[in-house]
Amino acid sequence: MADLIALHDLVKVYPPNVLAVDEVSVSFRKGEIHSIVGENGAGKSTLMKLLYGLVPFDSGRIEFEGESLRFREPGEAIAHGIGMVHQEIELISQYRVWENVVLGAEPVRAFGRLDKTRAVEAVRGKIEEFQFNLDPLARVDAISVAARQKVEILKLLYRNVSVLILDEPTAVLTPQEIPQLFAELKRLRDGGHTILFISHRLDEVLALSDRITVMRKGRTVATVAASGTGKEALAEMMVGRQVIFTSRRREHPRGKVVFEARNLSRVRADGLRLLDEVSFRVHAGEIVGIAGVEGNGQFELVNAVMGLAEPSGGSVHVEGRDLTALSILERRKLVSFVSQDRGGMGASLQASILDDAIMTHHRLDGRFTFWHGLVLDYRAARDFVDRLAARFSVQMASRSSEFRSLSGGNQQKLILGRELLLPTPFFLMDQPTRGLDVGSIEYVHGEILAMRDADRAVLLVSADLEELFLVTDRILVMHRGKIAADLATEGTTVEEVGRYMLEGKAAS
Amino acid sequence: MSRKLWSGVVGVAVALAVGGLIMLLQGYEPVSAYGALFQLSLAGAGPLATTLKNSVPLILTGLSASVAFASGPINLGQPGQLVFGALAATLVGIYLPLPAGLAVPLLLAAGIAGGALWSGVAAFLRQAFGMSEFIVTLMLNMIADFFTAWAIAYPFMDRKAFSPMTLPIAGGGWMPDLGPLSASVLVMLAAAAIVWFVFRRWRAGYEWRMTGQNSVFARLGGCDIDRNFWAIMLVTGALAGLAGALVVMGGPHRFIKGLGANYAWDGIMIAIMANNGILGTIVYGVFIAAIQTGALGMELITNVPSEIAQVLEAVLVLVIVATREYANVFLDRMAARRQAKGRSA
Repeated sequence: MADLIALHDLVKVYPPNVLAVDEVSVSFRKGEIHSIVGENGAGKSTLMKLLYGLVPFDSGRIEFEGESLRFREPGEAIAHGIGMVHQEIELISQYRVWENVVLGAEPVRAFGRLDKTRAVEAVRGKIEEFQFNLDPLARVDAISVAARQKVEILKLLYRNVSVLILDEPTAVLTPQEIPQLFAELKRLRDGGHTILFISHRLDEVLALSDRITVMRKGRTVATVAASGTGKEALAEMMVGRQVIFTSRRREHPRGKVVFEARNLSRVRADGLRLLDEVSFRVHAGEIVGIAGVEGNGQFELVNAVMGLAEPSGGSVHVEGRDLTALSILERRKLVSFVSQDRGGMGASLQASILDDAIMTHHRLDGRFTFWHGLVLDYRAARDFVDRLAARFSVQMASRSSEFRSLSGGNQQKLILGRELLLPTPFFLMDQPTRGLDVGSIEYVHGEILAMRDADRAVLLVSADLEELFLVTDRILVMHRGKIAADLATEGTTVEEVGRYMLEGKAAS
Repeated sequence: MSRKLWSGVVGVAVALAVGGLIMLLQGYEPVSAYGALFQLSLAGAGPLATTLKNSVPLILTGLSASVAFASGPINLGQPGQLVFGALAATLVGIYLPLPAGLAVPLLLAAGIAGGALWSGVAAFLRQAFGMSEFIVTLMLNMIADFFTAWAIAYPFMDRKAFSPMTLPIAGGGWMPDLGPLSASVLVMLAAAAIVWFVFRRWRAGYEWRMTGQNSVFARLGGCDIDRNFWAIMLVTGALAGLAGALVVMGGPHRFIKGLGANYAWDGIMIAIMANNGILGTIVYGVFIAAIQTGALGMELITNVPSEIAQVLEAVLVLVIVATREYANVFLDRMAARRQAKGRSA
C-alpha cells in the first residue's frame, strides 16, 4: 500500500522553549485507521495540528500524495481533503444540524440567498450515505453529545474530505456511545476514508485501529500493527516503563464516620434542583467515589463542602461539626482539597512556587509566622517547600520560579503535597488526575491509597470510571442532582455504573 | 529581573526617540532640548533635590495605585484621597499650633487619616452595597474635588486672600529642609520601605498579593478576603492622603485652589508603567518628576514649550507598556527559533 501522507522530521517548539514535536517522521496509508497514542503532552495533538495547518512547524516536510505541501491554514488542508475534529465540540448550539453542517460552504441561489431546500437535501443525502442516523432539522442543543460529534464529522464529510483527524473523540462520550462511534469510523474506512485517531485510552485504540503510532516526549517510539501488540506493551512504550493496571485496593477496616452530607440541596433561581436531598457518609479509612456525567451536581456538591456556594438546604458535617456554619478558614482545618482546575482554584499560576506551596499552611501552622502571625517566616517557608518537593518528588528549577513553569504533573504533585500535609481528617478530591499523564496519575492514585491506609476519609469526584474502579471502596452515582446509586466497588461493573450515569435510578 | 530591566531601558529609549521626533517635526532641536531638560533636573545637587521633592506626591500616589492594583481592588480614588489628606493636614496645622517635633508627625497622621477616611467610604459602599470600587472611587474624586473647593472658599477661607485658599498652617508644621533636600523625601522613602515590608513580608501582604493574582485560590486557601479588602483600601487611601499632607507641608503651607494638580493621575500612570512593582514605581516616579522638573527650565533655555513634558509622559506610558508586553512575546519566539534550529541541524 502506498503512503498517502508522509511526515518527515517535523519539529515544533512552542515559544519560549517547549519542544512539543521533536523530529517526527511517520506515514499514513490510504484507507487505514491509524491511531496516535501517548501521554498528555507527548505531542499527539500538536503533530496533527502541524499536518492540518493550524500550527506552523519550525522545520521538516510534509508529503501528501507524493507532493511536498505545507498548509498555511486549515482551509487549505480541507481543500486537499484533510479534515480535523477537535477535542471540544465546536458547533453553534442554537443552529440546526443542517445549518451547522453547511456553514461556510452554503449552497446559494441568485444574489447569494441561502438555498435552504438544497442545503437540507444535501445534508440528508450525506446522512444517508454514511448511515449516521441524524435528523438534519434538529437543533444542536437538543441532541446528545454523541450526536453532536457526528455533526462535526458530517461537517467534514460534506466538504468531501478523505482524511479525518479525530482528537480524543471518546473523551466526551459515555461507555455506551463509544462502540457506535467505532462502528461508524470502521464503515468510513471501508468506504475508502483514512482516519487518524488520537487517544490515550489503550483499550479503545486496540479495538479500533489498523496501525498504532506511539509517541513519548515529542518523539515517535514506534509504529506497530494493532493485531501484533497489546495493552501492556503499548503502555510500556508510552511511559517508558511498566505500568500497573490492576486495582491496588486492599482490604482495610473502615473506622468511624468522618464526613456526612445530610439532605444537601441547592435549588437554582428558576427552580431547577442542582443538588436534590443528597445524603451520604464517608468513614475513616475509606475512599468513596462520586461518578456521574459532568453537570449532574458534582460541582455544586464540591462548592457546598468548600463554602464557595451556600446550599439552599441541608448540612455537611466533618467529625460532627457542621461545615455550613463555618468560615472557609475554619473548614480548612477539617478539609483538604484538590480541585480539578489547577490554575483556577488550586494555585496562582504567576506566583512563585513557594507562595503557592504555603497557602493555608500560612494560616493554620504557627511555624510559618512570627510576631503573632504578623510576619511570614520565609526561612521556615523555604524549608517547607524543600521538604514538600523531596517528599512528593516535584521537579522544579528553583523555589522562586513561577508556578506555571512546572509541568502539569509537577503542578499537581505540589498541590497534592500541600494539601496532604495539612493535618485534616477529610480529603476532598475533585478530578485530581484530569489532564495528567499516566505516570503522574499512577502517583496520585498511590497517594490517595496511602491516605486511606493512614485512616483519613477520602471523597473522590471523578469523570473517569477506570480511576474510580482502581482506587475506591464505594461508588456513588450522581444523576440530576440526586444520588442515583450507592454501589460497593467489588460488586459492580463499569457497565452498571454507566447505566446509572445515563438513566439515573430507573436503571437496573 | 534582567528582562524587566532590559524592556524598561528599551521602552524609555524608544519613548525619548519618539519625543525627539515630535520635537524635530515641530522645528526644535531635540538634542539640545533633552540636554537642557536633564541638565536642569538631574545634574548637580540643587536640580536633583528639586526633582526628588517633586517626585514625592507622584511616588506616594503611585505606590497607592500599585499596591491596590496588585492586590485586586481597583482603587482609582487617589486624587480625592490626596486632597482629603491635604485638607485634614491643613486644618490640624492651622488650629493646633504645636512645636515642630509634635506638629510634623501629627500633621502627617492627619493626612493619612484623611486619605484613609475617603477610601474607607468607597470600601464601605463596596462591602455594604456591593457597589464596584472602580466606579465609586472615581465618583468620589469629583465629590472630594468640589467639597475641598467649597471648604477653602467658604468656611476655611483666608479673608485677606484674593483667591480661594485657607490660612497658612502654623510654622511648626512646615516640612524642614536638610541642606538642599526636603525632609518630605525622607518621609516618602520611609513610607515606601514600610509598604515594601508589609507587601512582601507580612502575612497580610502575602494574602493581598495572592488575592490580586487569583482571588478564588486565595479564598479557598483560607485568606480573609473581606478583611483584606478593607485593609488594602485603607492603606492605599492613607498613602494618597500622606501625599496630600506632604504637598501642603512642603510647599504652599496652606490649601490653595488646584492644590491636587495632576499628581495622583500621574501616580496612577507611573503604577501602570511599573507594572505595579514597588521598586519600579519609585524609579519611574523619579524619572517622570525629572521630566516635569526639567521641562520648565528647558522652555526658558531652548524655546521648546514645557507642554512637551506631557507629550513625553503620554508616549512613555504607551511605549513602556507596549515594550514590556511585546518583549516577552519577542524573546520567547526568538528562544523557540534557536531551539528549533539546534534540533534540525
